[in-house]
Amino acid sequence: MTNQNPLTLLTPVREGSFFKLNEILEKFKVGLHSNLNEKFNQLGTLHYARWFILQENSFRDKTTLPVPVRLVFSSNFDGDETTHAEGLVSIFPEYFDELYECCEGYPEAPSRNTESRKNYLLKWKVKTAAFYVGAPGRSLKQIQQEDQLKRFIRNFVNSNNWHGIPAVQIKNAVKEEVYKHPEFEWAKKPEPVKSTNLGGMILMICIIILLLPIIIPWLLALHFFYERKDKNCYDKRSQLDDNLVKRLEEDEDLINQNQFTQVLVVKRGKVRLLTIQGQMLFARTLIKNLFVKGKLMGIPTIHFARWVLFDNNKHMMFFSNFDGSWNQYLCDFIDKSGWGLTGIFSNTVNFPKTNFLFTGGAYDEEHFLAWSRGTQILTQVWYSAYHDLSIKNIVNNTLIRNELSKDLSEEQAQLFLKRF
Amino acid sequence: MEQLELSDIQGFLVRDYKNMPVSKYFLLEVLDATKAKVFVKEISKEITSVSHTTGNFYMNIGFTSAGLASLGLHANNIQSFIREFREGMVTPHRQRLLGDYNSSAPENWNWGGPENPSIHLMLMIFETSQEKLDEHTQQLLSKFDQNGLKAVHILNADTFPDDKEHFGFRDSISQPSIAGSGFEGLERDNIKPGEFVLGYKNEYNVHPDTPLIKDAQGNMELLPYGPDGSGQKDLGRNGTYFVLRQLKEDVDGFWNFLNEKSKNEDGSLNHDESTKLAAKMMGRWPSGAPLVKFPDKDPGGLSNDNDFVYTETDKLGLQCPFGAHSRRTNPRDNFEETGPAESLKLTRKHRIMRRVRSYGEKYVGSSTQHSPNGEVGILFGCFNADINRQFEFIQYSWANYPKFKQLYADPDPFIGVKEIPEEGVIQQFTIPRLTHNKYVDGLKSFVTVKGGAYFFFPSIKVVEFLSTI
Repeated sequence: MTNQNPLTLLTPVREGSFFKLNEILEKFKVGLHSNLNEKFNQLGTLHYARWFILQENSFRDKTTLPVPVRLVFSSNFDGDETTHAEGLVSIFPEYFDELYECCEGYPEAPSRNTESRKNYLLKWKVKTAAFYVGAPGRSLKQIQQEDQLKRFIRNFVNSNNWHGIPAVQIKNAVKEEVYKHPEFEWAKKPEPVKSTNLGGMILMICIIILLLPIIIPWLLALHFFYERKDKNCYDKRSQLDDNLVKRLEEDEDLINQNQFTQVLVVKRGKVRLLTIQGQMLFARTLIKNLFVKGKLMGIPTIHFARWVLFDNNKHMMFFSNFDGSWNQYLCDFIDKSGWGLTGIFSNTVNFPKTNFLFTGGAYDEEHFLAWSRGTQILTQVWYSAYHDLSIKNIVNNTLIRNELSKDLSEEQAQLFLKRF
Repeated sequence: MEQLELSDIQGFLVRDYKNMPVSKYFLLEVLDATKAKVFVKEISKEITSVSHTTGNFYMNIGFTSAGLASLGLHANNIQSFIREFREGMVTPHRQRLLGDYNSSAPENWNWGGPENPSIHLMLMIFETSQEKLDEHTQQLLSKFDQNGLKAVHILNADTFPDDKEHFGFRDSISQPSIAGSGFEGLERDNIKPGEFVLGYKNEYNVHPDTPLIKDAQGNMELLPYGPDGSGQKDLGRNGTYFVLRQLKEDVDGFWNFLNEKSKNEDGSLNHDESTKLAAKMMGRWPSGAPLVKFPDKDPGGLSNDNDFVYTETDKLGLQCPFGAHSRRTNPRDNFEETGPAESLKLTRKHRIMRRVRSYGEKYVGSSTQHSPNGEVGILFGCFNADINRQFEFIQYSWANYPKFKQLYADPDPFIGVKEIPEEGVIQQFTIPRLTHNKYVDGLKSFVTVKGGAYFFFPSIKVVEFLSTI
């Protein structure tokens, strides 16, 4: 099982290089459809990546600290971050040079090599507060291989007339056919998948129960001394800046997946900071122990999601890569995980009105949707390694692979043959 | 339960007017705003509300965003409307969401597209006979002339024979009912009014976004206050949004495709199998009978049976495939992977009030008879309060999106297939069977968009208000 990891880099932009950097990113965006995409593909370990420029006016709300102009890079990859960073700068150093020459302190040309470039990038790494993987343990290679396997099986089943033949026999014929092909040698061995960690969940619940004497007064204090004084978001989607929404929509629904980048200002004070950090710990525990089967709080469309606190925890970014449209994604959030979302994001300024941290907020549909759009920013360059696979497809493909080598009952074989 | 102010709501939202077999939709351009407002004032007294039940004819009116501007509604007030309505159906992003490409691209439309004249108003009249309709049409055409209005396109909108559209299927069986409207349906179909009418709470228990007056104009006394307590006057209360799309149906192409795909091994046609395949794609038989109740054969007759769910009876899609048009556009208790009770709750947030009528020859296709004379199709219409979360969601996330539920490459076989897919993109229809799935490969598009627009259907008071601006 290979671990997937996140990398977030916030690199300060040289004074006077903002426009040039914008031009380069625009060029990269166009280049994504040709050579740049191939370069990313060559890495063989990169699931998603994005670049965008972050500056003071990227935030809808007034920032707590002055925000310098920074180039943000974010990726989701297999393995460790040093190898990943080395891979990035060695496969296409010219792209990184062109981009990061616009940033402060990039090594001068004579001293540039894989090591110096990698060191430069990692110097700007920002810690991830919480990270969700839709298909934990699936490397890019595994995802691609299992997709090929599924296609092969689907075509094999479709090209034969199985009239009157029991499912077990069909499934065994599939297995025999797959095993004849040396390119599917790997499929003979099932790949373990993460399962819910019941022990971890019980432990978490016990700890929460033990902490109730602190949590309950905390929520009461939060409500009476903070939430009641909060300035809340009462925007409606119709009242958002049309140009912002149009620019966001220009890049949406071009393929069956989309991305979301949001920048937020954390509410001032230690109480809010401790609350958000507690929420992040809660999220990390749930992600590690419970949300391991392709659903984040019941949402079955998210490939990767990440929360990043930065600028001394004064500001927050949220990134996600998901299937389907923005509207479907946000409706899923409200319908399936409104409480969780509210618990985290209500600690950022100008959120729809909440009560006791977890209620209200996201459930205030119109204002929440307007808040989501209003705090979303333009992702200038976005790469996805597998446009045509939903997270449900990926999870399902592993099941196909793992069931292939098993002896199945007639009923199980019938289900197997309905997976594709 | 909130009671709707039925006498202020235009009737077509609640009543399907199927007792009026013929109708015309006049798509109008405002040439002279002052004169047009005189017409609007006059017509506001004739607009039939939900309460009108005894009239000889029915009349409803809708306005596009450009239409409101042409009458003189201030830009700031137009800005209060939802963006989908303001921008209209033709934008690059909306084209992607709705899948309007190739022959369906807006530049090829007969009306509503960028190459066509502007549409400002739509006047709909529903009549009991063709003679009365013709007579009424003549009177109206002359009134348009006198009142600075030009009919840039006129759509004939008839009822269907036996409620069957041209491919041969009984249509509009499954409809929501609006709670508080006096028309109650099955409990799961009783939807909160705010999903369809502005000014009332929706399924999220909040008021849908409603256009509030920013710059006072006209006779403000006619307008109620908005629901947010801000003291602003509300243009939206008792109004709704109407989506209209003219969809051409290639009946011959559709049945030839199915006949080809269902041939016997010796190459001869198998009409029963062809009909069965069509029913699998629709989720209902031509009679309207649902596949989950009649999986093997059409029971015949005419069915309005809408009392069924999927989870208990057909969890695996053996009777009604997951990709079937009626299952994916109204997934009932089988919404994605959520449990039945939660699914029913979620489905309620994506319902539309369909108002579909026919154009072209009255013709009911079948596997053996599929050559109508001339162009035929439907005038697909639907009412909703949030175009983005209702109509556009259904069209994109449920119909066009090929990965609905756990499918891999299955667009809605009727309204989601791309005419020219991108290179390497497969379009299939998956039929789950007891032992293994069967696939229909190489789906083709048999529905072409010929025109479309988003309209605001104001309350009757607001129609009058618009004559005063």
